Amino acid sequence: MESPEKLVEMRSITKRFPGVLANDSASFTLLRGEVHALLGENGAGKTTLMNILYGLYTPDAGEIFVRGRRVQIRGPKDAISLGIGMVHQQFRLIPTHTVAENIIVGARDVGFVLRFGRINERLSELIKYYGWSISPTSKVWQLTAGEKQQVEILKALYRGAEILILDEPTSVLTPQETVVLFQTLRKMASQGLGVVLISHKLDEVMAVSDRVTVMRRGRTIVTKPTRETNQRELAFLMVGRELSELEARPMAAGGKPVLEASGLQILDDKGLLAVKNISLRLFRGEILGVAGVSGNGQEELIEALVGLRKVRAGKILLDGVEMTNRPSADFIREGVAYIPAESLRYTAADMTVAENIILKSYRNRRFSKRIFINWKTVYDEAGKIIKDFNIVTPSPFSKAGNLSGGNIQRLVIARELNLQDNIKVIVAAYPSKGLDVASTEFVQRKLVEAREKGVGIILLSEDLEELFLLSDRIIVMYRGEIVGELPRQQFDLEKVGLMMTGVKGAEVKA
Amino acid sequence: MRLPRGIRIERRLELPRRTSAALSAVFILLSFLVASAVFEMMGVNSVRTLSTVVSVFLSPPSLLQAVQRGLPIGLAALGLSIAFRMNFWNIGAEGQIYMGMFAATGMVLIHAYYGLIPEPLLMLSMVLAAFIVGGAYCLLPGFLRGRLDVNEILPTLMLNYVATLFVDFLVYGPWRDPQGFSFPLSIPFPQYARMDSFLGHSSYLGLLIMVVIAFLVYGLMQRTTLGFEMRVVGQNLEAARYAGISIFRTLLIGSFIAGGLAGIGGFTLVSGLIGRLRPRASPGYGYTAIIVAFLAGLNPWLIIPAAVFFGGLLVAGETIQAALNLPFAAVQVFQAIIFIMIIVAEFIKRYRVSIRI
Ligand SMILES: Nc1ncnc2c1ncn2[C@@H]1O[C@H](COP(=O)(O)OP(=O)(O)OP(=O)(O)O)[C@@H](O)[C@H]1O
Ligand SMILES: [Mg+2]
Repeated sequence: MESPEKLVEMRSITKRFPGVLANDSASFTLLRGEVHALLGENGAGKTTLMNILYGLYTPDAGEIFVRGRRVQIRGPKDAISLGIGMVHQQFRLIPTHTVAENIIVGARDVGFVLRFGRINERLSELIKYYGWSISPTSKVWQLTAGEKQQVEILKALYRGAEILILDEPTSVLTPQETVVLFQTLRKMASQGLGVVLISHKLDEVMAVSDRVTVMRRGRTIVTKPTRETNQRELAFLMVGRELSELEARPMAAGGKPVLEASGLQILDDKGLLAVKNISLRLFRGEILGVAGVSGNGQEELIEALVGLRKVRAGKILLDGVEMTNRPSADFIREGVAYIPAESLRYTAADMTVAENIILKSYRNRRFSKRIFINWKTVYDEAGKIIKDFNIVTPSPFSKAGNLSGGNIQRLVIARELNLQDNIKVIVAAYPSKGLDVASTEFVQRKLVEAREKGVGIILLSEDLEELFLLSDRIIVMYRGEIVGELPRQQFDLEKVGLMMTGVKGAEVKA
Repeated sequence: MRLPRGIRIERRLELPRRTSAALSAVFILLSFLVASAVFEMMGVNSVRTLSTVVSVFLSPPSLLQAVQRGLPIGLAALGLSIAFRMNFWNIGAEGQIYMGMFAATGMVLIHAYYGLIPEPLLMLSMVLAAFIVGGAYCLLPGFLRGRLDVNEILPTLMLNYVATLFVDFLVYGPWRDPQGFSFPLSIPFPQYARMDSFLGHSSYLGLLIMVVIAFLVYGLMQRTTLGFEMRVVGQNLEAARYAGISIFRTLLIGSFIAGGLAGIGGFTLVSGLIGRLRPRASPGYGYTAIIVAFLAGLNPWLIIPAAVFFGGLLVAGETIQAALNLPFAAVQVFQAIIFIMIIVAEFIKRYRVSIRI
């Protein structure tokens, strides 16, 4: 059998950042026509390695060959002209522009006079080929996360990419969107493209990739055909030890509700009614799962529950005390922790890791007396927290913006779980987003521990398995309303799936 | 942006502090060279010009003058260092200096005309009034930004003209010295309202004030919860909101302090340098303060030497003007060249430029 062409070969790549060896003579090959998964713990150096291929960083040592030719990639422009495209975790699109406009921004050879007719035609062809439903003329802000990602992919393809790098593409997608993405990836591979897929979700890796490369501490330790391995082995290779399964325990206590909301009506950013008349009760020591396709009002609901969004009507009671429309500082003081969906958005990137850890608890008497912050305590505590939560950083004084994606998520979780001594409620949106398997397990364990201490937890997730594993009760949201509620004994994938599409709970049972 | 072939610009990782300081120094030296070239083109002996500049810092009397001129610049720059850290682009220090001069003079007049403030308290009341009025003057743009999300650049800039004209109005009108032969001047300040009543030269008291304020600004930004809040607001508004920080309150307090410090700068002008209020008393100290704040990298301690340096340039400018018959604009050209070089240095610190032919 003739072996396919090597599109990319990276040999002994080393990249050092101040205090960190991000890539330690790492090697990587990408073949024509394959989907190649890149795996590794948070901070293992996956993004760095791919950023080097895309020309964002220059390696300190090592060689890169593209289609067999030795190349120097000095910037994304070089990468693009070599046919390399990259879709980052954060989208880099201009929301007020159309899809087509976003795609030609920075593209070469569009000429001085833009001929949108021809551009749109070509784009429509591509869109049709991949079976998507976006239109070149719609504005980017109207698109869902999955569609924005399609625009990013389209951008790379339009510029003639043959080598496509996707950095944790599924972390922003709903399960349905993930399915569509994977169909796209397979189609690209069959067209002779090479696709690099960075992901932490082993089941996805098993389902879609042809080969996997595992990284650990900056080194590429193994490359294997996917069908010759399994999830267990991959997890072991990444972490270097066996993972224990989190066993689910029944709810610890009932009693009084710690958080109670009634008749909530909440507007979204565009001023439309995103939550229509929702009432819910969260008990002490309970994990309440909120299921739903993203965009059905869950984000607005939880923002209101932590004081970051005003409610138009309704009431929020915390431990029996009225908190409706009080400033978010009051919610923090009363012990409401909030793990937001987009960790980077709520991080002060140029400030230190320690400063970010106390971002919400600096008023706490532990860290400040009257108006003065006690930095010695802060940095001591931060050192401990960094160790506890396994945040990979050269020191507590390093800039938070230099952390790897998963480590920023760890930082946010550490920040929230150390909010104060008396946490009453944790509202967690996609808490294991971007985390590797070991950290996911760690975070889930922490949540269960908090529940055992009597904290009430609201868990928002699109990963139904995670919801089923952790929740004591699940509510399903559809178009700003709760369409059903299930106790743990009645959890059922199909039932919840149906309810997420708007079928009422009662009808499902019937 | 389209660049010529062969030139590439790439973001750099962080530079070590020492390299970055060295780069700034190199570029300041470079600006001396460029300035010399410009002076030569104007037919002026550049060696003599530059040696005049250097000699300012070598003789004690002119060094005292440099400090004196540096006071309003440095105090305003200290205020700006707070505002800029908050991402509040106050370019209204000039107007706030004028409001400070107005307030300080007002206290003298209240004392002289109505005998309301006792002599020993007069100076202190002048400082306080200058702080409060300068601060209040900066509140309006702060309010507009915090409540209505109006960008602060235009309001702060326009309020500069308002303040300048307001002081004009006072000295041409109600505040004109009755015995002043109808010159547009206020009455001269009594000796106990002058900063030079302390050790014989206003720079001593001025330097003391500047050091104390630099210390306070440093402490505020680095040690207090309020400073932490201001830095978070400057970094990422969404993160600030999420941390439960009141952005509105933080912006108001920050802009008040920033304006207030520029106001105290205005106080040092009338009480130290001039001794009365006159129109156009500040030839753009508030704008120079922006350059100084950036040159010092918003570090309060570095602002003091940077301000004295620019104060010295002004002193040198006067000598050059008199001795070499150059227009005052020559000094401004020099300032502008330094500013451009600072910007270039900042760019080089952030980006790597490589040329490949
Ligand atoms: N610009 C930078 N400056 C300093 N350190 C950096 C920079 N970029 C990455 N690092 C460090 O290099 C290491 C590898 O980071 P990288 O982003 O490649 O990890 P990753 O494998 O993508 O992890 P994750 O799964 O969390 O996204 C991390 O320790 C990170 O803190
Ligand atoms: Mg990454």
